[in-house]
Amino acid sequence: MCLPLDVKDLRLHSPRGRLLLDLPALDAAPGALIGIRGASGAGKTTLLYALAGLLDRAEGAVRWGKTDLVTLDSEGRARFRAETIGMIFQDFMLFEELGALDNAALTALFRPRAERKALRASAQARLEALGLTEMGRGVTSFSGGERQRVAIARAMAAEAPVLLADEPTASLDRDNADRLIDDLVRLVRAQGTTLIAVSHDAALLERMDRVLTISGGKLVADEVSTCA
Amino acid sequence: MRLIWDALPALAQDIALLMLLLLPALLAGLLVLRGYAPWPLLRGFLGRFRWSAVLFVLLIAISTGMGIGLLAQERGLRRGTAQAADKFDLIVAAPGSELTALFASVFLQPSDMGLVSGAAYAEIAGHPQVSIAAPLAFGDSYGTAPVVGTTPQFLRHLSEDRIEGRLWEDHAEAVVGALVPLAIGAGFTPAHGTGDAADPEAHGGSHDEADAKDAHEAEDHDHGDGLTVVGRMAPTGTPWDRAILIPVEYVWEIHGLANGHAPEHEARIGPPFDPAYFPGTPAVVVRAKELWANYALRSDFTRDGATMAFFPGAVLSGLYRVMGDVRQAMSVMALVTQGLVAASVLTGLFILTRLFRRQIALLRALGAPRRFVFATVWAFSAVLLLAGALLGLAVGWGAAELLSRVVSARTDIALSALPGWTELHLLAGFVSLALLLSLLPAAVVLRQPVVDGLRS
Repeated sequence: MCLPLDVKDLRLHSPRGRLLLDLPALDAAPGALIGIRGASGAGKTTLLYALAGLLDRAEGAVRWGKTDLVTLDSEGRARFRAETIGMIFQDFMLFEELGALDNAALTALFRPRAERKALRASAQARLEALGLTEMGRGVTSFSGGERQRVAIARAMAAEAPVLLADEPTASLDRDNADRLIDDLVRLVRAQGTTLIAVSHDAALLERMDRVLTISGGKLVADEVSTCA
Repeated sequence: MRLIWDALPALAQDIALLMLLLLPALLAGLLVLRGYAPWPLLRGFLGRFRWSAVLFVLLIAISTGMGIGLLAQERGLRRGTAQAADKFDLIVAAPGSELTALFASVFLQPSDMGLVSGAAYAEIAGHPQVSIAAPLAFGDSYGTAPVVGTTPQFLRHLSEDRIEGRLWEDHAEAVVGALVPLAIGAGFTPAHGTGDAADPEAHGGSHDEADAKDAHEAEDHDHGDGLTVVGRMAPTGTPWDRAILIPVEYVWEIHGLANGHAPEHEARIGPPFDPAYFPGTPAVVVRAKELWANYALRSDFTRDGATMAFFPGAVLSGLYRVMGDVRQAMSVMALVTQGLVAASVLTGLFILTRLFRRQIALLRALGAPRRFVFATVWAFSAVLLLAGALLGLAVGWGAAELLSRVVSARTDIALSALPGWTELHLLAGFVSLALLLSLLPAAVVLRQPVVDGLRS
């Protein structure tokens, strides 16, 4: 599925009226790897959430292909995320009491019955591709790197064409972060997935095709990476 | 519809009512969970908040269990007291309180009562419809066991002829209830009075514990004025299991009175009694030859200033009517308590759902439909409520059993207070109400902003 991103006049205000995000235009081709950087509080994660359709008060247009998330209600946006967007979080956000496979195949629980088995098999394949073989092992016994791999497997199990990652390496040590970056980039490249990652990690940003810089909720730089 | 319902057997009605009460919960469950199986997530939530979950389950279990136990106990007490009065068709006593006479005669509670005269007794015993007219003479005791003077006919009636050993052959012999700690062959001297007021010296003797201990070894006894145990009744499940039954003649003799018989028949045990030598008795247990005759006998022996006759069952029914009001109050209290518990559970569930708002936000971020999140939160509540209710049934069972033992130990009335259909219906109603109420916190969860949850 090819889903170009086309953002127009995206604005977001706080409940008190403060402008949190002001993005006149942003686009991305399918399969692009885009990094977002900026100081703390600059609006990086807010932009990521806006691209995921998680914000209720966004104005303007956030189009993935022909679908404008701003025009959808919250249920429509959730349905779109379930089919189109995988998400990775800084602190993994796993269900600690469940095993690796149950976590990776979590979205199977609310997908149509006919898709559940295939999605579970896909989750298992992703875990194996990321070097995890103990499917039933509780994630509490995993290292940080292993946990984030489970989170990546969960995000990619449904073969979503878009992957949004919020500081995916922030909770990892350098070695684990580097290995994770390798695996993540390898997988998204292999699948042709669009990856948009908020990060402070230079090692991750230099593997991106483009790096956006956000400051005060505005896009202040859009650079093509030379290292990718 | 009413005709169909009335035509159903009681068991079918109980089952149908149970299903009707559970129906709202079942329908809610089917509608909410339709198409989803969020069990792994439930496992995760239960594991993550296990101590809160355990606390909830215990709260529900104890509150429902107490309600169930008390209601079951009240029913068991009614059954037990009715069963204890089963052998007492009609009681004739001196005019006074029927309740006092009932407690004294059936439940062997110490009380001061007037006496039925020899003439009145002779009239009762001589009635053509009377098969047994047994005087009951209370007031003496041995240890904690009341000593009751009566006739062999009543003893056989009370014990249904299930007596280990034999009946009395002499005035100074006794047959003990199943729970009296005296062996056959043991000797003892009754005390005048009961409880703390008992005077062991009044009848020329003292408690002879050694005799009791050596009872099996004793072949020949010389207890002076004492009594010898010659038989033991099988358990009756009534206060009479702790009573010592002796010939009424002995009771009169030991109090320095005539023994009910003319001097030429003074060794006789039981009726006929000679009115001229009949010192009076607090109560007479009457058994009619035909059931219908009881009503005529009650009418015949209810006379102003002379005697009163009453059916113990009828007096108990009156008591139950009063208790019925108490029962209704208890039922209302139980319902109010369940309502309060449901409200507490609801409040607790609101708090719990706040605890896992981050997980809920994650599910929404991953694209979970609102109904799935709703189903998951509701199922979490349902698991806690159902576990609490089932455990509550067990707690209620245990509480009823424990209360039965305590009440039995204090009253000697055999009680069987197992939870019945009424308690199951109460529980089913509570479960349905609570499961319907728990739709609220599940709905409230959906109103929480996803981003706030992710950042919490």
